[in-house]
Amino acid sequence: MNAAISFTNLVKTYGGQNAVDDLSASVNQGRITGFLGPNGAGKSTALRCLVGLAAPSSGSAQILGVPYRELENPLSKVGTVLDSRGFHPALTGRQNLRVVAAAASIPEVRVDEVLEMVELSEAANKKMKKYSLGMKQRLALAGAILGDPEILILDEPANGLDPAGIAWLRKFLRMLAEGGRTILVSSHQLAEMQHTVDDVLIINKGKLIAAGTKEQVMGPDSLEDAFLKLTGGSLS
Amino acid sequence: MSLLKSEWRKLVYVRAHWGLLIGAVVLAGFGTAVTPIILDSNSATFGLALDQQTAVDSVYANAISSYIFAIIIGIMLMSGEFRHGTAVATFLTAPKRGTVLANKLGIAAIGGALVMVISTAAGIAAGWVTLSFFENVAEPSSGVFVNTMLAAVVSGSILGIVGVAIGTLIRNQMLAITGSLIYLFVVDPILLTLVPDAGKWLPSGLITAMLALDIQAPELGIDTANYLPPLTATLVLLGYGVVFGVVAIATSLRRDID
Repeated sequence: MNAAISFTNLVKTYGGQNAVDDLSASVNQGRITGFLGPNGAGKSTALRCLVGLAAPSSGSAQILGVPYRELENPLSKVGTVLDSRGFHPALTGRQNLRVVAAAASIPEVRVDEVLEMVELSEAANKKMKKYSLGMKQRLALAGAILGDPEILILDEPANGLDPAGIAWLRKFLRMLAEGGRTILVSSHQLAEMQHTVDDVLIINKGKLIAAGTKEQVMGPDSLEDAFLKLTGGSLS
Repeated sequence: MSLLKSEWRKLVYVRAHWGLLIGAVVLAGFGTAVTPIILDSNSATFGLALDQQTAVDSVYANAISSYIFAIIIGIMLMSGEFRHGTAVATFLTAPKRGTVLANKLGIAAIGGALVMVISTAAGIAAGWVTLSFFENVAEPSSGVFVNTMLAAVVSGSILGIVGVAIGTLIRNQMLAITGSLIYLFVVDPILLTLVPDAGKWLPSGLITAMLALDIQAPELGIDTANYLPPLTATLVLLGYGVVFGVVAIATSLRRDID
């Protein structure tokens, strides 16, 4: 199976501390992979290195065999949600997406398509600062699928969502996965992850501590039990 | 072209940028409109009266006084990316940061020039209206309008670029804007007055020099006798633009995006 995403001996150091410590792992094409770890484990830092927002101290992170910065028109290959920030609060949802669409040469009609897909059509002309957290997350997802990419990288997309929002997100991810996309998703919602992912990567203190199919990593336990055993019983 | 279009949308979609344009028009218009009144009522003190061409030229030259708004536009275009976190979406969409910065510098230059052209035109119009209420007003010199508008275009575009560079270096937007205001309204004029040999190389002295005025009125804070020739001043100001543009690109290439 081909690797869509690969980390090779990735190290990222902040102030003498390794936030990511010699991480080597891969994410297979067409699979949903859960990227799990306690708070501060280095998940977000690794993802930021992966998409070129942070420079690795050593090692590398690649998508489709090249660093993110070398991808031609990256939005058509990779959609990313890193947090609910990333959009200008004084612009409407539609204006925010039109700014991104213009930069990626994506037709205007696609903006309204993705707004409909994330059920934000009615709020399209509302300023982003008036959006609820759930609406901001959905706008971020709309931005990620704007270029109809084959790979999605989602960092804690369920953060702050209420149960209805989480249910909506589960349905949305399944819909995206059915199209054969590769999805790398970090999350604390372990029960939710168990029902969503095919493969699992678990990191703790910047190091990879488990990798494989969900069944291989879980064994006879639940994903949460396996996670707690591997990380020494700490969720935070 | 796609990145230029995206950066243009960032410029025109944000209402605060339109507020800055209005502020620039009001400042230039008001500043130019009151200058004839001040000159007329204090002509003995200043040694300038409205029946002198130099006085009328200095009235119209005041129309260029809104250049701080060009710098603020540049700062907001860049530091706004970090303040609101939009830098993440910007650099995910176009990860080649040098290209993004080059386009942003281009739009900041256009935005700064537009702010200066519109506000300067408003200032000239306001000055003309006020002067029409006075009698025995001298004719302006033949080159004052062309020189003023040229200085508006050049200073506006370069200060827009300088603003973007400041925004890359100082990511805290309020700190960047406040620092620039203090520099342009306090530090620069003080240096220009106390150390004219050094001050004439600084932005305020260069912009005034570009107007090609011949005014010796230290009471007004203007004594153009020691200023650089207009073309030299323009080239030095362009040099500032190049240096700040390079600094902006070099800085953005190295730093991680939060």
